[in-house]
Amino acid sequence: MVKVVKTRVEFEGRFRDEYTVVEGEPLEGWSPKSGLKIVGRPHPRVDGAAKVTGSAKYTHDVYLPGMVYGKFLRSPYAHAKITHIDASEAEGLPGVLGVYTYKNAATLGFGGAEKVFKQEVTYQGDVVALVLAQDESVAEDALELIRVEYEPLRPLVDPEEIMGLDSSKDRIVGPKLYERGDLEKGFAEADVIVEESFKTQAALHNCMETHGSVAHWEGDNLVVHTSTQSVFNVRSALSEELGIPQSKIRVVSEFMGGGFGSKFGAGEYTVVAAAAARLLGRPVRIVLDRVEENLATGNRSQTVQWVKIGAKRDGRITAIHLKGLVNVGEDGWVADLGGPAKMMYHCPNVKVELYGVKTNLVSSTAFRAPGYVEGDFALESAVDELARRLNMDPLELRLLNYATRDPVTNSEYSSKALREAYLKGAELIGWRSEPRVVRDGAKIRAKGVAGAIWWGGGGPPAYAEVKVNADGGVTVLTATQDIGTGTRTALAQIAAEELGLPFSSVRVVLGDTITELRSPGSGGSQTLASMGPAVRAAAHDAKNQLLEIASQVYDVAKERLTIREGSIFRSDGSVLCSVGELLGNLGDFSVTGRGAREPNQEGYMVNTFAAQFAEVEVDTETGTLRVLRLVSVHDSGMVVNPLTFTSQVEGGVIMGMGYALWEGRLVDGESGVVINPNLNDYLVARCSDVGEITPTYVEPEDPHTNSLGVKGIGEPPIIGVAPAIANALREAIGVRLRELPFTPERVYSAIKGINPRPTTAKYL
Amino acid sequence: MFVIPDRFSYTVAHSVEEAVELLHTLEDSKVLAGGQSLIPFMKLGYASPKSLVDINRIPNLDYLDDSGESLKIGALTRISRLCDSELVAKDYPLIHDAALQIADPLVRNLGTFGGNVCHADMGDDLPAVCLAMNAEMVASGPSGQRVLAAKDFFVDRFTTLLASDELLTEVRIPKNRRGCGGAYLKLERRVGDYAIVGVAAQLEVDGDGVCRSVGIGLTSASTKPIKASEAESWLVGKSLSDEVLDKASTLAMNTSNPLSDIRGPAEYKKAMVKVLTHRALKLAYKRARGGL
Ligand SMILES: Cc1cc2nc3c(=O)[nH]c(=O)nc-3n(C[C@H](O)[C@H](O)[C@H](O)COP(=O)(O)OP(=O)(O)OC[C@H]3O[C@@H](n4cnc5c(N)ncnc54)[C@H](O)[C@@H]3O)c2cc1C
Repeated sequence: MVKVVKTRVEFEGRFRDEYTVVEGEPLEGWSPKSGLKIVGRPHPRVDGAAKVTGSAKYTHDVYLPGMVYGKFLRSPYAHAKITHIDASEAEGLPGVLGVYTYKNAATLGFGGAEKVFKQEVTYQGDVVALVLAQDESVAEDALELIRVEYEPLRPLVDPEEIMGLDSSKDRIVGPKLYERGDLEKGFAEADVIVEESFKTQAALHNCMETHGSVAHWEGDNLVVHTSTQSVFNVRSALSEELGIPQSKIRVVSEFMGGGFGSKFGAGEYTVVAAAAARLLGRPVRIVLDRVEENLATGNRSQTVQWVKIGAKRDGRITAIHLKGLVNVGEDGWVADLGGPAKMMYHCPNVKVELYGVKTNLVSSTAFRAPGYVEGDFALESAVDELARRLNMDPLELRLLNYATRDPVTNSEYSSKALREAYLKGAELIGWRSEPRVVRDGAKIRAKGVAGAIWWGGGGPPAYAEVKVNADGGVTVLTATQDIGTGTRTALAQIAAEELGLPFSSVRVVLGDTITELRSPGSGGSQTLASMGPAVRAAAHDAKNQLLEIASQVYDVAKERLTIREGSIFRSDGSVLCSVGELLGNLGDFSVTGRGAREPNQEGYMVNTFAAQFAEVEVDTETGTLRVLRLVSVHDSGMVVNPLTFTSQVEGGVIMGMGYALWEGRLVDGESGVVINPNLNDYLVARCSDVGEITPTYVEPEDPHTNSLGVKGIGEPPIIGVAPAIANALREAIGVRLRELPFTPERVYSAIKGINPRPTTAKYL
Repeated sequence: MFVIPDRFSYTVAHSVEEAVELLHTLEDSKVLAGGQSLIPFMKLGYASPKSLVDINRIPNLDYLDDSGESLKIGALTRISRLCDSELVAKDYPLIHDAALQIADPLVRNLGTFGGNVCHADMGDDLPAVCLAMNAEMVASGPSGQRVLAAKDFFVDRFTTLLASDELLTEVRIPKNRRGCGGAYLKLERRVGDYAIVGVAAQLEVDGDGVCRSVGIGLTSASTKPIKASEAESWLVGKSLSDEVLDKASTLAMNTSNPLSDIRGPAEYKKAMVKVLTHRALKLAYKRARGGL
């Protein structure tokens, strides 16, 4: 029987109501104690071989007959007005099929053309023109033949500068406020108060696969291959921009080379490719190169933060005040830096004030735990300073102020094992058993800790189908995406476990709207917690049908039958038949089970947690900083696959190290031009930069999240890495660094007490 | 935004003579060795030669030969070969140190010794090695062969003494005797990056530990690879105490004239020349005295 249920769903800390349509009875929850045989085991990725042998087909691999290449001409200025533009020479180049600028963009035939092609460009990398050509090099040659004259306008890229300008009030968004308790009273009660300022840099996603789409039309049906975290978001945007019904659009993202938050919808490259393909009657491919990727697809926001924390002499925190500036670029959103300040500690009096500042840089976008990474660096650095002032062990201070209920809503957690995580991490890093600081000539080694909190409980709507085919093979149909996290593998495990069929017999289809099975975007660490239960429910439905069929064919009561390892067993343990025999004998019938993600339980706060410990080595004569060890202990509910869990943690921790040590967009403060939009100058960690990472977990039973007892793991591993490193560095050199990233020169200057001379190149 | 180079012709040379002939006759020609510097330059539009002469198929230009008076390194010797060679690891630790710190395995598999020195960027590591070891550079051109001293070879950033129709065929390194030792230290922002600064030091000491001869080459310490000549002259004839090394590193620092750039401000780089020179000399000394 179909039932419609309204339920609260969270995405990265923002809540909304969703309807979900559920069938059947709720399933008994799984837990680490359920005796599962396939879930919880380290299954290698089902698509690993395809990926390493190159047979996995990514958007970048899609080349269609007669395909046309689209390339954008982008603004070299951060702010300018186009006074003259002449594309005639480019249009005349043999092989060029069209050139579009703000003057003729409307003829491309999509809604937002005038928003993509503008006369006034407002960041470096903003679109000036589009060339369509029969091959890529002709397209590039044509770009050089477009004559553009610009009148440069003064760019504003530095939020601190903008806050001081009377003329730029319209660039300030907010304040976004949060308040609980009585802040003044909280500080009045405090015996010790620390006040600290921090700066964090803009970080670029640098997905291995750059943003791109290939579009073609089959009659009046549009097919778009695109590298995306949400095929449905792309489809609805295309429908709106092109004015065609959604059911005429198919969006495919079979394999995907990373998104990290930057690929949540259709980009201009997607819409323009689709519109141009319609116009030309040929497939159109627009794939960004690395420089475009780093100039024009968004970033983690640069922030300036001020934190004040008050505590009693015994360490109890009485008040937390956070003020923050968020550089949102042209028109990004104000990521919630305040998450950790509001949620980490049991503290009655908290205030958060956030201002977004609009600048002549590309709009910021979501990036792996947006806001929380930046906010946790400030909060957990300040808490470490508080511990020093109180003469307390920083770990003890954290345990003392441990929140046992969600401090924002006062609801219970669905589960929380952060305390166990802290203790396990402390054991692994030798927090108590080894000296905290070791000197060896010019080198000093030291340890630091930070905690992290995030979301990742998932929710509806998420639907799946599980087909058991006539030969006993299983097809799981969903339209979720595997953005590299191992979704395919985890869903196959869940289906196999529930069905009682072998893991190797399951094939997972995903990343294709043609299934019409609604699924959420792959973000917010939610894919498994949303899709997993839907797949389990569908598998359960399929299993029921199989047992029903077997019961009728063999005239045995359904209750006396079970499925194990591909066969149907009687209650006395004897084999009735194999699933393949059963369906094969029915004229190759295949069973289709349907499943929905069940509604969220009311009254529980679902959060994920991590305790992260770093051991660093500093060369005090050069300022070189190495992270020797990073122990990352997670509470993410039940772990479905320890191998893919490990990959997520290693990847997140490495990205966190990059943020702490190397990565950062450098912008010329005068011209607003990005100095390092390439992988030579924007430093993403390489294997040999990375020390030993120990990913591990505590596995609480969680009967309140979903029918699997799982929570997310995609984002948590990045959050506490920078503050753990910052705190270890502070321990090592006796000076606190308050600005990321910790480049050798900054560490050196801090050790020597040198004030670095201001330069025009800034981390913005 | 530009990933496709301008049009160019491509010709394969099968001998040194043919290569020289092609370089001489083809318009605006350049040698293509491992392509690890030239191709990125062409992609980025920093270089747009009209003709490329590929020397990769010239036989017998890839060798390490220490049978004679010096260690002879063929211009096409891949950097990975320097990393893997036992001879280099045992007898020429300076070269070995440097090779291991150049880029990453992929680049080292293709990049050549000749290409690295002919590119002559301030950030390439092997020019400093050649300067410290007082190497000789052997070139072939239309009018025959000539031998150039490393200290004269590096004229400016991206500019060597080679004429456009000359091919570097070999680099000769004085043989390491007893009492010789060398070391290369490199400060990097991230593994595989070009140096913030790098220091190559090569020493010869007598039985009493007195410095007989010394070479110091600096990477990224000026707009071109440079030799720390004052530090070198000051060290000769002295016992290498900490104070002596300190004075020498200060002299090396004073010789340096680095640029402020994305790898750090000039003042920081200068300070690092001093730290690294001190450490490199110390390690070279230890090796010269038979330690590791
Ligand atoms: C990602 C990356 C990182 C790198 N990091 C480093 C680093 O850390 N340290 C470092 O030292 N290098 C580094 N390199 C550069 C690399 O080591 C050099 O590209 C390589 O050694 C140059 O050799 P090649 O054979 O590739 O030269 P090519 O690129 O083929 O040629 C370079 C130049 O030398 C000329 N040339 C080449 N051979 C001869 C010859 N025999 N006679 C005359 N002219 C010649 C060419 O015409 C060209 O002008 C890096 C390169 C990359 C791509």
